[in-house]
Amino acid sequence: MEITLTHYLLLAMTVFLTGMVGFVVRRNAIVMLMCVELMLSSVNIVFAAYSRFHANADGHVFVLMNFAVAAAEAAIGLAILVEIFRRRRTVNVDDLKALME
Amino acid sequence: MESHATESLLRWIVLVPLLAAAVGGLLNRRLPKQVAGLLACGAVGVSFALSVTVFLRLTRMPAAERFVSDTMGTWIGFGNLQIDLGFTMDPLSGVMALVVTGVGFLIHIYSLGYMAHDEGFGRFFAYMNLFIFAMMTLVLGENMLMLFVGWEGVGLCSYLLIAFWFNDEANAAAGKKAFIVNRIGDFGFLLGIFLIGTTLLPHLAEGEGLFSFRTLQHHAGIMAPVATAICLLLFLGATGKSAQIPLYIWLPDAMAGPTPVSALIHAATMVTAGVYMVARMNFLFVLSPTAMGVVAAVGVVTAIFAATIALTQNDIKKVLAYSTVSQLGYMMLACGVGAFGIAIFHVMTHAFFKALLFLGSGSVIHAMSNEKDMRVMGGLKKKLPITFWTFLIGTLALAGIFPFAGFFSKDEILWKTFSSELGGVLPWALGFLAAGLTAFYMMRLVVLTFFGENRASAEVKSHIHESPATMTMPLVILAVLSLVGGWIGWPHFMGGGAWFEQWLAPVFSSGHGAAAHGAAVHGAAAGEAVHDTMMEWILAGASLAWGLIGLGVGYFVYMKKISIATSLRNLGGGVPYKILLNKYYVDEAYEGTFIRPGYLLSKNVLWKIVDAGLIDGLLVNGSALVVAITGSVLRLFQNGMVRFYAWSFTIGVTVFVLYLSFSG
Amino acid sequence: MEGILFWVFGSMMVFGGLMMVVQRSAVVSAVWLIFAFVSAAGIFALLSAPFLAVMQILVYAGAIMVLFLFVIMMLQGPVLEGDQKLLGRSLWPAVAIPPLAIVVMIVGYVMRNGLTGWGGPAPEGFGSPEHVAGLLLGKYLLAFELISIVLLVAIIGALAVGKDERKLPWK
Repeated sequence: MEITLTHYLLLAMTVFLTGMVGFVVRRNAIVMLMCVELMLSSVNIVFAAYSRFHANADGHVFVLMNFAVAAAEAAIGLAILVEIFRRRRTVNVDDLKALME
Repeated sequence: MESHATESLLRWIVLVPLLAAAVGGLLNRRLPKQVAGLLACGAVGVSFALSVTVFLRLTRMPAAERFVSDTMGTWIGFGNLQIDLGFTMDPLSGVMALVVTGVGFLIHIYSLGYMAHDEGFGRFFAYMNLFIFAMMTLVLGENMLMLFVGWEGVGLCSYLLIAFWFNDEANAAAGKKAFIVNRIGDFGFLLGIFLIGTTLLPHLAEGEGLFSFRTLQHHAGIMAPVATAICLLLFLGATGKSAQIPLYIWLPDAMAGPTPVSALIHAATMVTAGVYMVARMNFLFVLSPTAMGVVAAVGVVTAIFAATIALTQNDIKKVLAYSTVSQLGYMMLACGVGAFGIAIFHVMTHAFFKALLFLGSGSVIHAMSNEKDMRVMGGLKKKLPITFWTFLIGTLALAGIFPFAGFFSKDEILWKTFSSELGGVLPWALGFLAAGLTAFYMMRLVVLTFFGENRASAEVKSHIHESPATMTMPLVILAVLSLVGGWIGWPHFMGGGAWFEQWLAPVFSSGHGAAAHGAAVHGAAAGEAVHDTMMEWILAGASLAWGLIGLGVGYFVYMKKISIATSLRNLGGGVPYKILLNKYYVDEAYEGTFIRPGYLLSKNVLWKIVDAGLIDGLLVNGSALVVAITGSVLRLFQNGMVRFYAWSFTIGVTVFVLYLSFSG
Repeated sequence: MEGILFWVFGSMMVFGGLMMVVQRSAVVSAVWLIFAFVSAAGIFALLSAPFLAVMQILVYAGAIMVLFLFVIMMLQGPVLEGDQKLLGRSLWPAVAIPPLAIVVMIVGYVMRNGLTGWGGPAPEGFGSPEHVAGLLLGKYLLAFELISIVLLVAIIGALAVGKDERKLPWK
């Protein structure tokens, strides 16, 4: 069977849903961040697939931008987690309820 | 080119006092008193010297071209609206600049002595410099908006200085009163400016500055249909600033400030701003006989009204304050009959002798340990010789005795009132009557203060002393000016050249060109047309004699036969006296007609219904209620569980995908 | 050939993702994520995006994941106590139904509309470093410059957040 655009999109969907479920079920904030990275990655696959489909490499530029944003997000997010850990000695999101009301 | 150098001097006339005010005000107490005083006086001195320089440059120009301008750039510019930031000096503003900086300089010197022991020495001089800055902006501003900036600036400084000793609540209240009453006038003034703007804007050519006085003068004809409205609105502003009926009530209360302030702001300079503005806009006023009539009527009524109140006041500064109101009435009268030049002439001579009188009264108050009530003064002639003699000169000038300055200006006003088409016998008679009253109450003041026995307590008596040289020197200089200052307006019929009027003629003659366009008042300022030398001599003699009679009666009544004063007081059951003493109950009337209903309206309608009911109840609490209800629903989602938030996000994604797949 | 490679890399990626989610230890999760990212690089290569494939390995699998591992080791032992049990049984339907619904809808959509094929082979040099660099430094130069500012801000932000407050230079 020939591999088509649809195959890549379905792959991206599967990966995205995996990350999404992981984001909901995990309590460890670091792992939750990793799930976000996984979802971002699946989006990158969609970009690349459509770039190939339209024979237009603009999508590749977007992917690169996404890399940068993901890196920035990881850096800031982890810095915040480190700071939270310093104060609360935990990164379990169920213990972090200061946002309530 | 020399003119270039002179032109850029113009901005420094204005900016030097501002810089000094900034430095003095910011450093305030960190500066030693000597430095602060020197800085302030020096700044005004520089300003005066620059004014003289530019003025001399003006005198060397041909009469019709006397105009120096210094544009610093565009202030507001979009579309065809162009307003420049710049200063100009023509004969009119030149005279005003000299008077303001010159008299201002003398008063600054005087303040060095008067305020020497005051806590707020630095603050005082910073405010005074700021005032000079604002006043010079008002006088030299190139357009109406600059004038308005200065106009508000002097109002602010006036407020700050009236309430200078703000620890006393009465002073603070007087400051607020001055500010609020002035706001009423300013409101009218601002509306007038808007009206000018909307009328003129569609007719302007490219690059023509809206509100620039040159433009206004050039296009006066366009404004002819609404000239009456504009002029009345502008004049409302003038009644506020120049203390005319009905807005004069703030000026007597303004005497709460330090005496040099009363002399500078509330006698010599700021209160003449209204007169200056009317004179500046003469080309508009002559287009509207109605407005001119109103100006003249308000002026003459104010003159006599305030003079009668001054008869009975016991506070030495209050007498002078009402006298100022009365003299400002004269100036307005002169404007109203089209004699703008004479009005400015009176502004100048009045600045000299009224500043002198106020500073003299300051010297008296200083000597009497801050006592202002004349009933406990008396016999100060021997103890304060310089003050006495200079004060007497000021009194003679104010009473209009030949050859003191006041004679020339006041007599000219009365003559123009009598001879002008806009004037007549009735306004002349009222003005004439007020002149006699002026002489009388001034003599009363002199006698009560300087003659007879001293009625003060022994303790105060022992402290009486002549003021230091920094205070007496300005007195002497002003006394000399009060004597000779009027001679530059020596009228034609007495063999003079009326040089002052000629000097200003270019500013006002162009107004008549517009008047011809607007088909309005021809012989407005043309008293010459009915020039009757004989009549002029008779009237001059009459007013001189009348002034002397006033002085004589005053001296006789208060020196020799005090019983007459007592019986006058009891005349008609003492009712007229009481009315005068209480200033015709105008303050009370305003209280009853405006303040109290306004207060009740605010309290019962605006506060209880509009504010408490509508705004607080419906809008504020109502919107709060909506938010509260929404919030109590939304808070169910704000449970602090991060994973719950994440789950909500998955639901969102799901709904989005479902929507996409069903819609497409 | 492409078909085989797609199935290999695709299943590796999905498997890596799933393992990341179900592993209790954060370190092991991170390693599984690296595995998934490397597979994603393979997918990029199949999509005629060799430059992206290289960047995916360098940036993601290399830099970002190293950062994650660093933080994990800095903060906590291998297993977080709270993650001993992933989810209460009663909550499984709430978590499982939305993704399942999405899968059903999308698979249904594909069944109805069939597959969308490529329009033809990729052009010569498509997605090569030269090609992407031309775009990045030409058409998207402004975005390229702006993203550097984003990174700069992220660096400063991370420093500001992560550093001990008393030792911040502006305190």
